[in-house]
Amino acid sequence: MGVKDKVWEVFRQEAEGDPMIHGGSVRAPDEELATHYAREFYGRRQESERLWIVPREAITELDDPDLLKPPFDRSFKRPGGFLIKHKLEAARERAGVTDELTREELGE
Amino acid sequence: MSELDAATGDALGELLLAMADDEFVLGFWDSEWTGIAPILEEDVAMSSVSQDEIGHAKALYELLADLTGQDSDSIAFGRSPDGYRHAALMNHPRTDWAFTIARRFLYETADAVRLESLAGSSYEPLANLARKMRREETYHLLHFDLWLRRLIEGGPDSRNRLIAALQRLWADAQGVFAPLAGEAQLLAARILPESIEALRQRWLARITPRFVELGLPAMPAPPLPAPDARTLHGADFGWLHSEFTMVAASEAGATW
Repeated sequence: MGVKDKVWEVFRQEAEGDPMIHGGSVRAPDEELATHYAREFYGRRQESERLWIVPREAITELDDPDLLKPPFDRSFKRPGGFLIKHKLEAARERAGVTDELTREELGE
Repeated sequence: MSELDAATGDALGELLLAMADDEFVLGFWDSEWTGIAPILEEDVAMSSVSQDEIGHAKALYELLADLTGQDSDSIAFGRSPDGYRHAALMNHPRTDWAFTIARRFLYETADAVRLESLAGSSYEPLANLARKMRREETYHLLHFDLWLRRLIEGGPDSRNRLIAALQRLWADAQGVFAPLAGEAQLLAARILPESIEALRQRWLARITPRFVELGLPAMPAPPLPAPDARTLHGADFGWLHSEFTMVAASEAGATW
């Protein structure tokens, strides 16, 4: 590795419309060579529709556990929201319905 | 191809063999960089490009095999050194990195001109293959132009080595466009859309201004391709041939 080499992070897309996923990294002194090497490492077997080649120093990293893993139960902030499975079961029992179709209608 | 007369078929065979051997021999020389290229990433890139050339050679040998009823492996590995038809540019060992880059630049630019023209060949299998190869050679061309620039800008040592290599290879590079036996038949059948000398002039008209742009000294007046540019190969190729035929020769007719 030459003294002027930089690290470039390479993201790849497997099919049109797919999300860009991190493939790995290459070392290269400049963008042009980084592009060639990204192609060789992450695109020469027709496995990629598109590559993003990003200098590592352009990436802002956040890994503070106080911000990312707060210690209290915050499950209500998840996309699924509150767990209502038990409430639904109780409601079904009161209504006396058990068949699958009705369960689906209840949104379970 | 039944519609080709015997003389045209032979001439087409010579053209395919010349192109295939160029790619094959260059692919073997440059694959010697595997493990010792200047940086790890380039090691992978150079190995991959060399593999590409062997792949192009295989496709061309298969076209020839279809034409002659032979087997592509036996064409590739079954000939003695004097049966190969690569240009004199490919007789040199890989030497140093600047020499390798100089040769690749000269070859890739020449090959680009040749493939552009053959994409319009009347022999459809060759026209199709030339179009496919051009797509992959686009990257090769970019890659070696990039390295040429880096060696020119990399300080006096790399610049001087590169210039010395270009000058040393200049006459042999003309041999990529050495006239072929049977060229007249190929032109008449429109298998070659243009004469090989016209292709050489187009190549010169393209790289001469590129050398000026890059601040390289003018090359000497290009000599005509030597008549034996594709038949005389010398001791270095003899050694390479013994290397790349070693496995095939160890047990004739073996399959795996």
